Amino acid sequence: MIMQEEEYSIIERCREGDSELYAVLVERYGNMIYNAAYRMVGDPETAKDMAQESFIAAYSALREFRNGSKFSTWLYSIVMNKCKDHLRLRKATVSLDDVAETTACRGQTPEAALCAKQTANSLQAALDTLPGEYREVLVLKHMEGLDYKEMETVLGVSANTLKVRTHRARELLRKYLVEREYRNG
Amino acid sequence: MDRELRRLHELLDGGLSPEEERDILEKVDSDELLRREFDSLVGAILTLETCERLPADASFTAEVMKRLPVRQKLLRRRIADFFIGERVLRWNVAAAATTAIVILFASILLLHTHWKDPSVAQNASSKEAVEKVTITFHAPQAKTVALAGDFNKWSVEEGAMKRRPDGSWTIELPLKPGIYNYMFVVDGEGWVPDPRAESYRDDGFGRKNAVLRVNRI
Repeated sequence: MIMQEEEYSIIERCREGDSELYAVLVERYGNMIYNAAYRMVGDPETAKDMAQESFIAAYSALREFRNGSKFSTWLYSIVMNKCKDHLRLRKATVSLDDVAETTACRGQTPEAALCAKQTANSLQAALDTLPGEYREVLVLKHMEGLDYKEMETVLGVSANTLKVRTHRARELLRKYLVEREYRNG
Repeated sequence: MDRELRRLHELLDGGLSPEEERDILEKVDSDELLRREFDSLVGAILTLETCERLPADASFTAEVMKRLPVRQKLLRRRIADFFIGERVLRWNVAAAATTAIVILFASILLLHTHWKDPSVAQNASSKEAVEKVTITFHAPQAKTVALAGDFNKWSVEEGAMKRRPDGSWTIELPLKPGIYNYMFVVDGEGWVPDPRAESYRDDGFGRKNAVLRVNRI
């Protein structure tokens, strides 16, 4: 609550022209928004652009931000829209053959680190095969840890619709991963 | 999506009553195909939730700040800054020499007065007390935060702050009464002003330092 009040105060000062204070918010939420963007677009450079543009768009529209809302939720909604616009333009899908095997990796050995990297890559490839609206619910629900109520605010879609969408997205992801495992024996 | 599969998703979302949970878990136990679907679904979710998070570039914040559109300050903010805002003093040798001479004469005059009046001299000899000032900054995602300012010659090493369990960072400084400029340095790269500072001052490089006033006790 204290942090939220502090954020309202920073936003108010930025609206009045003290733009330097905006660095506090960028520093606070930079990693979070960058990761969400990365999982949506699947490319670090594009993700960085999407994330940075989201912060700039948020700054330009600070007057529209309503005190009482969460700044992080607002940022999520901006970055998700930007990423979906980007995906619509790109309209590229990755072949299922690009989805590498996903296995459980344990321990701190170099082999485990390599395995974790492969898992991350294969997961990203699997996410890339999903339509944007399925990808975004998986990112928000299972990677960013939002609940359906928060997702409703971010995406402007009812929680019930989002539940159904999440179930379908999880089902698709599950099938991709199972099929891949089956192919790799 | 069939009924059982939908129930599995609802179970994973925590949306079932205890009776419904028991019912679907019994089905999972007795149905080999359903159990395999459940296991692979849990595996897919675990893969999502345990996936490594990537750090943004160290220059991420600085790049955003450079690209922000210029915003004109509000009139009331400009008026407030005019009267109570801090200013950078720009000087040249001639002005400094003139000022030094005026100060020298004023000091001689003051010393002369003090010499004549012993009670004034006695009061002036009291020492300025050092006050302990605690500064906190909320940055739960930061790995390190340091306080750099003119009180520690802008040394990041000397101003290392301690993390608290709530994600805030703190440091205690012994400071004499005066006015100090400072910034927080996040993860050794990002220089950010204190959002709770009572005022800010141009640093001469296009950014603003936070200003701390320590008053006499």
